Amino acid sequence: MIEALTVRSGLTARPAAPVIIARYGIWIGAAVVFAVLPLVLRSGTALTLMSLMGISIVFALSYNMLLGQTGLLSFGHAVYFGLGAYFAVHCMNAVTMRDLPVPLPVIPFVGGLGGLAFAIAFGWVSTRRSGTAFAMISLGLAELVGSSALILRSFFGGEEGVTTDRTRLLRLFGISFGQQIEVYYLIAVWCLVCMFLMHKFTRTPLGRMCNAVRDNAERAQFVGYNPQVVRFLAFCASGFFAGVAGGLAAVHFEIANSAYFSASQSGNVLLATFVGGSGYFLGPVVGAVLVSYLQVMLSDVTEIWQLYFGLLFIIMVMFAPQGIVGLLMMHRPLWRKRGMLKVMAAYVIALPPALIMLAGVALVIEMTYHLTVKAAAEGSVMTFFTVPLATDHLAAWLSGGILVVGGFILFRLTWPLIAAAWASVDPGKEQAR
Amino acid sequence: MTVPVLELCNIRKAFGATEVIRGVNLRIYGCERHAMIGPNGAGKSTLFNLVSGRMRPDAGSVALKGSDITGLAPWLVNRRGLSRSFQVTNIFHRMSVWENVRAGVLWSAGERYAFWRDVGKAREVAARTDRILAEFGLADRRDALAGILTYAEQRALEIAITIAGGADVILLDEPTAGMSRAETDRAVALIRRVSEGRTLVIVEHDMNVVFDLADHISVLVYGEIVASGTPSQIRNDPKVREAYLGEEAH
Repeated sequence: MIEALTVRSGLTARPAAPVIIARYGIWIGAAVVFAVLPLVLRSGTALTLMSLMGISIVFALSYNMLLGQTGLLSFGHAVYFGLGAYFAVHCMNAVTMRDLPVPLPVIPFVGGLGGLAFAIAFGWVSTRRSGTAFAMISLGLAELVGSSALILRSFFGGEEGVTTDRTRLLRLFGISFGQQIEVYYLIAVWCLVCMFLMHKFTRTPLGRMCNAVRDNAERAQFVGYNPQVVRFLAFCASGFFAGVAGGLAAVHFEIANSAYFSASQSGNVLLATFVGGSGYFLGPVVGAVLVSYLQVMLSDVTEIWQLYFGLLFIIMVMFAPQGIVGLLMMHRPLWRKRGMLKVMAAYVIALPPALIMLAGVALVIEMTYHLTVKAAAEGSVMTFFTVPLATDHLAAWLSGGILVVGGFILFRLTWPLIAAAWASVDPGKEQAR
Repeated sequence: MTVPVLELCNIRKAFGATEVIRGVNLRIYGCERHAMIGPNGAGKSTLFNLVSGRMRPDAGSVALKGSDITGLAPWLVNRRGLSRSFQVTNIFHRMSVWENVRAGVLWSAGERYAFWRDVGKAREVAARTDRILAEFGLADRRDALAGILTYAEQRALEIAITIAGGADVILLDEPTAGMSRAETDRAVALIRRVSEGRTLVIVEHDMNVVFDLADHISVLVYGEIVASGTPSQIRNDPKVREAYLGEEAH
């Protein structure tokens, strides 16, 4: 009742400035962060990386409209990303050729419309089912579009794809978008707007019924909702935002090719969403930032970075299916009970053994890779974090084994410490939700 | 002559070779509290499934407030003002209690599939949800996830979702199954209160509940209605005593 009353009073009176800040403060904060970041991290690499992160955030959030919100596991979300990119590139080329008065910043919207159009067509078929059937259909559609990209050359440009030049569109305020920083800000604004809209979507009647259909599609039928329609509309919205992400990618890379449709593209967005935490709005954001960062940084360190991605995914699925944000949220009650320090202390003790174990695992993986793939060409000596190691000697393998086993034993010994720290803070509950 | 709120005409349903519902005729009038009793496997839940659109009858017709709803999808039946609960608790486990009830309110409040409106600003929806929660004694559990409620609370929530849309015909499938005596008494009082001014059809095994709550009783045995009438008529019907109530009346 109280809530109903406050809402009513909020509507009759014009909201005062503090209300606006309370309601939109987090968005204003995000906008400030987006605006300031490139002033702090000025290198070209950082700028490119942040642009990629912005694209990934939109893409991952759009994916979570299906996975987290509606309970639809898609293996082919790259289809709408890729089609968005192609529509954007073709639109940019058409605009350039005919000299139409269309500025670059609206191009991602065209990508979104492309994604939406195909989400309507494909969603009509696939959202009639949920669960395994939906997942299989999404996989089939991804294959279909992926192979069409190589066959229908006039639209998809075959192996090379279709290129474009983002600087040749109508200029507003003299901005040519030749500089990466200009592209970054274009992506940042779109990212922020899309985040805002997708967050709003979760608060709409349809967004709430998506959760209901996810939890219990049958019950939703008996409160007046057709689950197929709910799934279809969520799918369309998701396809639109995936298309926007594709359009942003097209603006960023100035090319659209069949790699946009690849299975790894669909896999990465699933991975990012899941690792971040599909049960939370911020989950895919965190996941997208982390995965983009690892993709760029890890690939500099090791050639088999994708293997580590796979390991990360398996570990998260097995031990922390609620994702990184879920893990963080688990600690929220600790703040209130002032137990954060105790638990953090236990974590700090557990960290070194865990790192030792991880180093051991990485060492064994890298040595195996070196010995089986690269030793023939480069000799048996490899460097691991600047340490030269003879991969054909027992000593190196022994040290790897000792790191793994010893690290694990020490790590295992710290578990009771963590459990005790939790129990001391939260004695009532055996396990935090 | 008033039109029956719910009218079943020669309904039949078979699963494979087994005919579960064998020509049921039933008329239920406005504001009745109608109990459906019968031994296990008599087809009571199947009859609910046929009426609510969960299953399609092989033959016969169902009319709701005079219009034919035979074979309509569950959501279409629901939108015409018939709402049902389930024998096995059927709620939205990962949503809060409040959101569960609101899900039941949304369609009838005209929110439909809207994706351009903030559901938090729908005052009428929020007020109605609050009112229902208070009525069901779930107000202090409003933010708890439905999945962690006690069994009795989940059963109450199940009924709350069912009546939330303001349907005028309510079908409750064994609402007190598995409850203790005290919980059952509370549930019966609650059901009596919320079904005030509506038509209630209830499947129930507990004879105390049936004779306490219902003003009409139909007895379903092997897919056929063997008797239908007021509680005293049913109590004294020789066929019913033979087939169902057994020797206890002697």
